Amino acid sequence: MIAKISIDVIVNGLRRRREVEPRLLLSDFIRQDLGLTGTHVGCEHGVCGACTILFDGEPARSCIMLSVQADGHEIQTIEHLAGPSGELNPLQTAFRHEHGLQCGFCTPGLLMTLTAFLRDTPNPTEPEIRDALSANLCRCTGYHHIVEAVKLASRSTLP
Amino acid sequence: MPAEARYLSARVLRNEDARLLTGRALFVDDVQIEGMLHVAFVRSEHAHGRLKGVDVSAAMRRLGVVAVYTAEDLGDYWRAGPLLVPPPPIPNLVFHACTQVPLAKDKVRHVGEAIAMIVAENRYVAEDAIRDVVVDIEPLDAVVDLEKGLAPGAPLIHEQLTSNAAAHVVQRKGDYASARKKADLVVKRRFFYDRGAAAAIENRAIAVNWDPKAEELTIWDTTQAPIPIRNGLAKMLGLLESQVNVIAPFVGGGFGPKIMMFYPEEVLLPWAAIRLSRPLKWTEDRQENFYATTQERGQVHDAEMAFTREGRILGVHDVFLFDTGAYDPYGLTIPINSQCTLLGPYDIPNYESEFTAVFTNKTIVTPVRGAGRQHGVFVSERLLDIAARELRIDRVEIRKRNLLGPDRFPHNHEIMFQDSAPLVYDSGNYLPTLEQAVDLIGYDKFIKDEQPRLRAEGKHVGIGVVCYVEGTGIGPYEGARVTVEPSGKVRVATGVGTQGQGHFTVFAQLVADALGVDVEDVRVVTGDTREFHWGTGTFASRGAVVAGSACHAAAMAVREKILRLGSSLLNVTPEQLELRGGQVRVIGANGAAIGLGELSGLANPLRGAVRPGTEPGLESTAYFGPDRGSTASGVHAMIIEVDPETAMVEIKRYLVAHDCGTIINPLIVEGQIHGGVAQGIGNAFYEQLVYDEQGQLLNASFMDYLIPTATDVPRVETAHRETPSPFNPIGLKGVGEAGCIPTGALFAQAVEDALSDLGVEITEIPLSPNRLFELIESAKAAGK
Amino acid sequence: MILTGTYIFNGPRAAVWDLLQDPAVLAKALPGTKTLTRTADDQYHGVMKVSVGPVTAAEFAVNVELKDKVPPEKFSMQIDGKGAVGFTKGTATIDLQEQPGPVTVMNYSSDVQIGGKIAGVGQRLLESVGKMMTKQALEALNRELQSRLGKQ
Repeated sequence: MIAKISIDVIVNGLRRRREVEPRLLLSDFIRQDLGLTGTHVGCEHGVCGACTILFDGEPARSCIMLSVQADGHEIQTIEHLAGPSGELNPLQTAFRHEHGLQCGFCTPGLLMTLTAFLRDTPNPTEPEIRDALSANLCRCTGYHHIVEAVKLASRSTLP
Repeated sequence: MPAEARYLSARVLRNEDARLLTGRALFVDDVQIEGMLHVAFVRSEHAHGRLKGVDVSAAMRRLGVVAVYTAEDLGDYWRAGPLLVPPPPIPNLVFHACTQVPLAKDKVRHVGEAIAMIVAENRYVAEDAIRDVVVDIEPLDAVVDLEKGLAPGAPLIHEQLTSNAAAHVVQRKGDYASARKKADLVVKRRFFYDRGAAAAIENRAIAVNWDPKAEELTIWDTTQAPIPIRNGLAKMLGLLESQVNVIAPFVGGGFGPKIMMFYPEEVLLPWAAIRLSRPLKWTEDRQENFYATTQERGQVHDAEMAFTREGRILGVHDVFLFDTGAYDPYGLTIPINSQCTLLGPYDIPNYESEFTAVFTNKTIVTPVRGAGRQHGVFVSERLLDIAARELRIDRVEIRKRNLLGPDRFPHNHEIMFQDSAPLVYDSGNYLPTLEQAVDLIGYDKFIKDEQPRLRAEGKHVGIGVVCYVEGTGIGPYEGARVTVEPSGKVRVATGVGTQGQGHFTVFAQLVADALGVDVEDVRVVTGDTREFHWGTGTFASRGAVVAGSACHAAAMAVREKILRLGSSLLNVTPEQLELRGGQVRVIGANGAAIGLGELSGLANPLRGAVRPGTEPGLESTAYFGPDRGSTASGVHAMIIEVDPETAMVEIKRYLVAHDCGTIINPLIVEGQIHGGVAQGIGNAFYEQLVYDEQGQLLNASFMDYLIPTATDVPRVETAHRETPSPFNPIGLKGVGEAGCIPTGALFAQAVEDALSDLGVEITEIPLSPNRLFELIESAKAAGK
Repeated sequence: MILTGTYIFNGPRAAVWDLLQDPAVLAKALPGTKTLTRTADDQYHGVMKVSVGPVTAAEFAVNVELKDKVPPEKFSMQIDGKGAVGFTKGTATIDLQEQPGPVTVMNYSSDVQIGGKIAGVGQRLLESVGKMMTKQALEALNRELQSRLGKQ
């Protein structure tokens, strides 16, 4: 057996300490060890973007990171976006309002990507939005309604 | 539909979104059970070969491995899967059923075919153990090309047969040979149309829990057909159907391959879970998905169309080959769809179509969104374009001259459709849809003014307009149960699985309208055999049509119960009552009313009596089975610019004018169309599964297999027309595949138009910048 | 995958020939070779580590059989490799011509089939990796040749 390594990570505002195998992927750590299954895995090679989380505030592909790389860092996942009683935030609300999701599998990764994007680009143009989306694959929507949702969210007042 | 309907045809926001947006929706890979073991598969690296031996001893010795199974270990459980869709009753049809096996024995027939199953403490160890297994395969030459596969002396994939032909079918109407003699023009071409991977972002997964005390098996499966999976597995495992529960929770995209049933993994995990008395889970990885999940593959058509001088179609003759992959569990659904959909919205009096399905050493072929319809549409639309050019008739005009008129319905095409019923179009009104599309895209102005102006500036701009029909909403049936709970909320259970189509909302809309409740108060459960265990599945754009009609019927039956009970309690006739605001009330100001929750309690008393001849509670189950499917239709149009130096295509505008009968929810319908168009664009210009001569797939990752991104797909303008279907009470037709069916044909026409000065002719899909560049260069060379 | 090319060694043909028949030299020259041993006359077994795009440091067990030997002019090889991420199978031919100098002109050509995972994810890169490894090997052999000739 490979010796385990102790890691200390802040996940959605809570400090977690776990013993992990050095080869454990960050996506598996989040989904299996922490039970935060809202982060999805679609390709395991960093292309589809379904597994996107915020790593020290920046979008990162958790399927191509090791959990030991998260030691001493801060992570946010999809479970952190809604309010304490489950109320949708403006971006989530905009996705619902514009029908920006169908099967919803890619949606958590998109929301995490867009959370950082809208923080850094509060009033994006459509080409900027499409460019920001182009690193996340969605097979259901054709992106049209997602673009509309981002436009709507950028017009709302984000908390 | 009751007069007070307020949700039908409204842009109702989806009930399921909150769960999906917050990460709370359950997908199969999210299932975690104490003591769960994880599964990985040893798969063939060869496309074709004799399996001489599998040595699993080293894998068994690895720490953390619990079991390793090969075909030998399965005993009597090893058997080929069922033929899922028997061929329709067409005279002289030849079909050889060779269905997939759970684990390869004696022979491997495609790269990625499962050879051994490893069960271990976690997925990492299970994958470690894959490399411990020694597989001895004697490679055989592979069948990759369809024509070579049929040539004498080709390697034989299924040795009990005499050739690699899986099927041969001829369908005829009228007399093409005579029609051809009268023709002023016959256009003939060879067309190649390849498809790709469905590539749902969620890969397949299956989790199984065997409860040895209750003797109950629970299976979470990413299937589009949970009920047939339950019934089939119960039979295979020797259990009662009621001992097996199959749950298709939220499924991350289907697009066809998840309607394929009894995949090896689906058959093996339940068997092993019982044997080991441990919960098991397998989740496909993306690379496995490229090999082990079904795909849709190529067809080669040699087709001709006979015309009068005025551009009227006299008949069509088509001979094609269809690649069915290594096995053919899904029968002939795809090539028969191609055969039927080729006729499109046109009046084609004489038709002769012959196809041969061919086994190849590639992944199994089953329907992917569109399911062969786009192949047929490509052939007929291309032949119309070529004829228009030769006859000097405008592309739109030649289509107008051949459309079936509104007085021609129901229209019997006199051949058999995939559902074993004759191909009959229920209803339609094609010309106004075409005119609307032409008007909205500004076809005349573009041809007359914009295109000449832009061409003068050196820009290669083009326009395309194509028509299609989509056979949808086929039988056999679906069912639904509607229950008013004592809280006043309504529960709807139906059997179809859901993969993002908005079933939690559209079914709720139909029920809310029938019962006069808020749509948010209707909770829909789909794809859970504990809740509802009669039905077939989600395919062929039939969920809304067939299950939707069943929900409507069940809700209307509950409505009748409410009115009957309400009239006796309120001492009025049922006609004096209305259902509104969650109450049954006497029509008129200050009318007496009872809440539906209270009424459901009164209908289910703890003491006293339920009247003879009535049932307790406010609940009803109903089924809906259409005689045959309903035919949706539409027109796609787009304007593009091609850069002849780089062969990149920029889509300037994309428009879909379509008719899917009565629309339940325009927001959801538009979403279906947008997504379909994106897949169609992928099929037309980005996606192709590339196999080498030995049957090795060369682009089995998202790095090399390109799915369109947000910068590749345009905004899609939509226009809805509604010609209700007479085959169901609400007038519904399906729309799930409408976006992707004519996209390849449209792309070809628009690109040809943009490059008309070079004389490029397009007879193949997918294109790619590379391939288009080659076509441009060879056209230039030929023009010199 | 077909690789063909020409390489010029700065030395006489007989010396190049000897070099190519020496497993110890080849083991050093071929990139990623962990072991290479002679198992019988003209039969070699080796373990190689190869990285292609997303497939990193994949181990292959390789059997090579030398055939059609015409010393010191030409020979061919039957190559059979197997690893956790796929397989290789094919042939290669080597042809040596001495020219004034003396230098030796090597013409090589190989036709190797690649299958399994490595074919599916590394296809785009296989040819360039193959070319790169060939170039590295030939340059290392030429260096070894120079040092041998220098010692004489």
